[in-house]
Amino acid sequence: MYNYIFNDNFRKNAVNNNLYNNMVYDTNKSSLFAPAEAYNNGNLYSNLYSQYKNYKPVELKANNEREQLLLDLSRMRFTAHELNLYLDLNPDDESMLALFNDYRREANALMSQYEAKYGPLNLSSNSLDNSPFSWVSDVWPWEGRYYV
Amino acid sequence: MFSYNKKLQYPVNIKKKDLRMAKYLVTQYGGPNGELGAALRYLNQRYTMPDNKGKALLTDIGTEELAHIEIISTMIYQLMKDATMEELREAGLDSHYAEHSRALYPTDANGIPFNVSYFATTGDPLADIAEDMAAEQKARAIYENLIDLTNDPDVIGPLLWLRQREIVHFNWFKELFEYYQKMLSGGSNKIMKSENDSNALKYMMYDV
Repeated sequence: MYNYIFNDNFRKNAVNNNLYNNMVYDTNKSSLFAPAEAYNNGNLYSNLYSQYKNYKPVELKANNEREQLLLDLSRMRFTAHELNLYLDLNPDDESMLALFNDYRREANALMSQYEAKYGPLNLSSNSLDNSPFSWVSDVWPWEGRYYV
Repeated sequence: MFSYNKKLQYPVNIKKKDLRMAKYLVTQYGGPNGELGAALRYLNQRYTMPDNKGKALLTDIGTEELAHIEIISTMIYQLMKDATMEELREAGLDSHYAEHSRALYPTDANGIPFNVSYFATTGDPLADIAEDMAAEQKARAIYENLIDLTNDPDVIGPLLWLRQREIVHFNWFKELFEYYQKMLSGGSNKIMKSENDSNALKYMMYDV
């Protein structure tokens, strides 16, 4: 019943006429950006990347050690998240799963390192052992300090 | 359940007040193609997906959209911070002040409040995922309009980044759509049986 509306010709034409026809799902490792570039771009997949006019993505840079740690963490977390979305639809892809786990572990290690030095990022952090309760201290993300 | 991480998914640090831009940007908070609508639409649609792939993707993209609400809210907050009454009046935000003072409030760029019809859920997986594909394209278009309306690099950076996320999400929804299209037309009963899911069985019965 569904094929009646969404037949293959309809789909092919729709894709060919699409200005953003680089939105194809050809995912292999060689088409992946490295984490820093992926995070700058907001896109891990080079074959999906689509520039708007002549705007280039911001090259995020840290101004101090704290920002550097947070930036590295964000890069690893983002790359793992991008692979997570791919794996949702392709759970049997073992090589992408291995890559996901590399970035996930790296992100977790950076997170512990950040929290030990600068306080908790979430309420399961071991840095909460110390008194006073540090969840309430420091600035909140929307206040714009410590951010690249 | 959800738990909060005390960091933005992408950094925002806007140094210049811009009340007019705040007024436009709010549509990506509470407008028909905004992040609040996207997050709640996906998290609401996931319950009736026919298999685990759809449930996983809608959960994970829906959760990411919650982080985008925070990015947009942060941008609006920073653009409006320390505004004088005169500046609010000049930007046409005096009516916002009358209702909400300096608080954030989800509306579109014309001040129309958020509406649950933006959830756009039918319970039909193909209709719902097609809606999500359209939603990502519409949000991409709105981000481009917003980029055209400013020349502040602190604002353009996060908008370019959020625009790119729409492109990535569109791609995964498209892949899910095509997969369900095959699956629901009876092309791949094997997949449905392996999921052992009441919705999947329902759709399988439809098409056999």
